[in-house]
Amino acid sequence: MSDDVIIVIVVATALLFDFTNGFHDTANVVATSISTHAMPPRIAVGYAAIFNFVGAFISLAVAATVAKDVVDADVITPTVVFAGLIGAIAWNLATWYFGLPSSSSHALIGGVVGSAFAAAGADAILGDGVLGKVLIPAVVAPIVAFIIGVVAINIVYGIVGRERPGPVNRGFRLGQVVSGGVLALAHGTNDAQKTMGVITLALIANGNLSSDSDVPTWVVISAATAISLGTYFGGWRIIRTMGTRIIKMDAAQGFSAQGAGAAVILASSHYGFPLSTTQVISGGVMGAGAGKKVSAVRWGVAGNIVVAWLLTLPAAALIGGATYGFSQLFGDGAAGPVIIALFGIAATGLAFARRLRQGPLPA
Amino acid sequence: MATVVETKELFDTVVASLVAGIGVTTVFAILVFGVSRSADMVRNERPVAAAAAGGLAVIAFAVVTAAIVLGIVVMTQK
Repeated sequence: MSDDVIIVIVVATALLFDFTNGFHDTANVVATSISTHAMPPRIAVGYAAIFNFVGAFISLAVAATVAKDVVDADVITPTVVFAGLIGAIAWNLATWYFGLPSSSSHALIGGVVGSAFAAAGADAILGDGVLGKVLIPAVVAPIVAFIIGVVAINIVYGIVGRERPGPVNRGFRLGQVVSGGVLALAHGTNDAQKTMGVITLALIANGNLSSDSDVPTWVVISAATAISLGTYFGGWRIIRTMGTRIIKMDAAQGFSAQGAGAAVILASSHYGFPLSTTQVISGGVMGAGAGKKVSAVRWGVAGNIVVAWLLTLPAAALIGGATYGFSQLFGDGAAGPVIIALFGIAATGLAFARRLRQGPLPA
Repeated sequence: MATVVETKELFDTVVASLVAGIGVTTVFAILVFGVSRSADMVRNERPVAAAAAGGLAVIAFAVVTAAIVLGIVVMTQK
């Protein structure tokens, strides 16, 4: 009975994380389209939500990585997964509050790694998987996106630089409708799968699934729904940072940045690398800005984002580990997770209430 | 180290990203160029040049569409 209560709390918490992932990362997907006026804000957000939902069904390679290559499933319990999720959600909410586009993916992996470490020591961490599947791609991917952004925008300006700006801007704005859709699809593909992976990990740990099971269909559908709803209720603080505070973009830069992000995320998802979509898209945005003029990038804002990235894994791990330790004060039963979940719901409710007080979405 | 860092998969990811990201953006820029130049040529009453620019735009459109469809098909087949 206690195990069943915990697994229900874990699944609900995972879907809540997926929701926060969606609203936290909405900015990544739509900010460039909004800032170049390719799409009105409400339409851009709704459009991204739909493509996020569809994208979640495209591939399961990333879900398999999260479920099997980061922590040892044999020593993981549903409470460990729950504590990891709390670490990720807490960090997501904190960075959302301050308008920093940090990585939901690294928060999730950091949280799970931290709670697994607190529960079973270093042996629970699959160091090879964390290094090869998470950390190295985390460094490489934004650099590749930056390079694509720099090269692509220079080629674009070389091709259309002598054309009249009006038709060129209109053309690239139309292009952004497509590239924004592909980017949202890529985001749904990579990010929704992380939640699917965590839920699968918890179901394996609880004995509901065998260790070689595929991701159940209900998990795919519920994760896709949660991330798309979160995207629709997206975080406007971060949209402003991504859309206008890093660089002031023209439509060609927006298209190049979105193209860079979509290419890197889709290629990485194909090979099962659970990337930070935030880092990748920020890399593309900075590349498209620096490719036109290095001084156009507000490197101070970019530096704040880098600091948030560096803090994400250890901070989420710390919160995940502390949450696990706190839950153990109430024993191995469901009492700890229930108390923490209630506290988490209250904190999340307060955060959303504060967001709603900021007024409706700009039209 | 080679087993820890999946070198081939990482390399393939980087190459595919570079080719797709730069390639699609370049071809789309050619599409925008073709449409813009075609409109200018029509305005200047140069039908042959307008048709050539329009043809370039059509080819670029087909390539961009094919690249996006191919990318999604490859994703779904993993």
